[in-house]
Amino acid sequence: MLNRRMIFIYVLMPILLFLVFFFSLTYGLSGISLIDALSALFNVGDENIITIIRSIRLKRIIMVCVTGAVLGGSGCVFQAILKNPLADPFTLGISGGAALGASIAFISGFAAVASFFTPLFAFVGAALSVFTVYIFGVKGKFDSNIMILSGVIVSYTFSSVVMLMFALSQSTGVQQSFMWLTGNFSTFDERLMPFVVTIGAVGLVILSLSGNIIDVISLGREKSETLGNNIEKNIKIIFLITSLLIASVVSVCGIIGFVGLMIPHIMRNFVGTRSMLLIPASVFGGALFLLLCDTLSKIMFAPVVIPPGVITSVLGGVFLFFLLLRAKKSSI
Amino acid sequence: MIQIKNIYAGYFGREVLKNVSFDVKQKDFFGIIGKNGAGKSTLLKIFSNLLKSYKGDVFIDNKNLESFKSKELAKRLSFLPQYSDMSMPFSVFEFVMFARFPYMNMFKIPSKNDSKAVEKAMDFLNITNLSERKITELSGGEKQKVLIAQVLAQETDIIIFDEPTSHLDIGSQNNILKLLRDLNERHNKTIILTLHDLNAAGEFCNKLLLLENGFVCRCGTPEEVLNYKDIERVYNTTVVVKTNPISNRPYVIPVSKIN
Repeated sequence: MLNRRMIFIYVLMPILLFLVFFFSLTYGLSGISLIDALSALFNVGDENIITIIRSIRLKRIIMVCVTGAVLGGSGCVFQAILKNPLADPFTLGISGGAALGASIAFISGFAAVASFFTPLFAFVGAALSVFTVYIFGVKGKFDSNIMILSGVIVSYTFSSVVMLMFALSQSTGVQQSFMWLTGNFSTFDERLMPFVVTIGAVGLVILSLSGNIIDVISLGREKSETLGNNIEKNIKIIFLITSLLIASVVSVCGIIGFVGLMIPHIMRNFVGTRSMLLIPASVFGGALFLLLCDTLSKIMFAPVVIPPGVITSVLGGVFLFFLLLRAKKSSI
Repeated sequence: MIQIKNIYAGYFGREVLKNVSFDVKQKDFFGIIGKNGAGKSTLLKIFSNLLKSYKGDVFIDNKNLESFKSKELAKRLSFLPQYSDMSMPFSVFEFVMFARFPYMNMFKIPSKNDSKAVEKAMDFLNITNLSERKITELSGGEKQKVLIAQVLAQETDIIIFDEPTSHLDIGSQNNILKLLRDLNERHNKTIILTLHDLNAAGEFCNKLLLLENGFVCRCGTPEEVLNYKDIERVYNTTVVVKTNPISNRPYVIPVSKIN
């Protein structure tokens, strides 16, 4: 049983991811064949093709995969420690904080001065909302309801401020903000990529290995403490690691909805509830799903590239709805 | 085995336990009874080191509770809270396996010993057939058995239960208490539990502690503790205490009218 699940996670999912990776690499406006694309990956072949593949497509694909992986994995962690199926970066206000920060950067004109300001402002905004949720819901005695409530409050307040800024502003920053708010893999700051990839990889490995600690936390405070698990300390560490992961991808690539919420629910059908398996499964699942959506976003209305965040939300919404319908049917 | 000395404890300035002292011996089946709010659950929380702000001392085998490391204590003493969260759809086997947490290494990969302990506990409770079922789909009685299996798989010599039979019908209640007695008699476990049902307490426990407004009213055998004078005063009602003709244990019946 366990082995079948391990094969699913560590063999089948990576193979699927590679297939989509190659498809995404070759599909594009300039019509590059798979063989050309592959040889370009290894610096062989036509110079132009090498440039397109290595400095445009490959970077975009890596960023998409890391973002999807982080969103999927962290959504899974939040749902487990908060024991709430609706928990994700949105409900905890992290995305809202990043949105506010980025919008300030665009509308104030800082973004136009140097592209570096957008992720910086977004990260500060995300950190601000993490800090707020932490003070109210995590510090002292951890309370999952208060934590979710404070996340939702932060989310609403920040998005109202964003709307207010949009209403009052005459600047062209509004249009840019809108694009950013639905995810942006076309113009992200490349210099940040090594940081994001490193933080993402290290963080996700740590979270996956903490699977059992996360599960024991979900048993509740009393049970968890009498099993020798220091719940206050471990929740703080896990919450902060997860928040840092989300903040770093979201501040670079903008806001992508639904991945963190939906992927763990889908993966639970394949690998069960144990975080030890569900977190890595959601990591691969998130990367796979977001890469698919990003590829679709280039294909569907070509030559217009639509924001990938729109596709994740539409696809995710419909899919989740069917999943709910099925669950409802089977429970009757 | 466990000594409680001059415990004072409370929440937000309200004292819940006042100068509580008593001993629990090895292999005791120790019941704690008293009205709602008398301090029963608070006492259990002190035992299991969940409540740390109290005055007085608790010793387990002459070692102060405060000097236990949390993992070390988790191998001596397990606790079944009154309400357990079973909302995540784990399988029964996975759920019982969490009891092995204090024995696992840093990466928490279950060893053969861990699997054996889980299988043994599930076998003892006759729930091996539920192994792959989801805990969210079980009935109330099955859930209670799974929770007890989890406590058992922790392999501790002291087991503490907070109201293990609340919300169960009389048949299931009897079954669960018989299981606990079996654990006590055949597996040498020291069992400490709170109970609301005085008759069940009288029937199954070999020692009782009656709490009255945070004070120890009486501590001793069921025959000593379940006397009508104390019960009437503590519970502020009228009762008759009789002896069960089959088990020779005391039982308590409420009286509705006194002429």
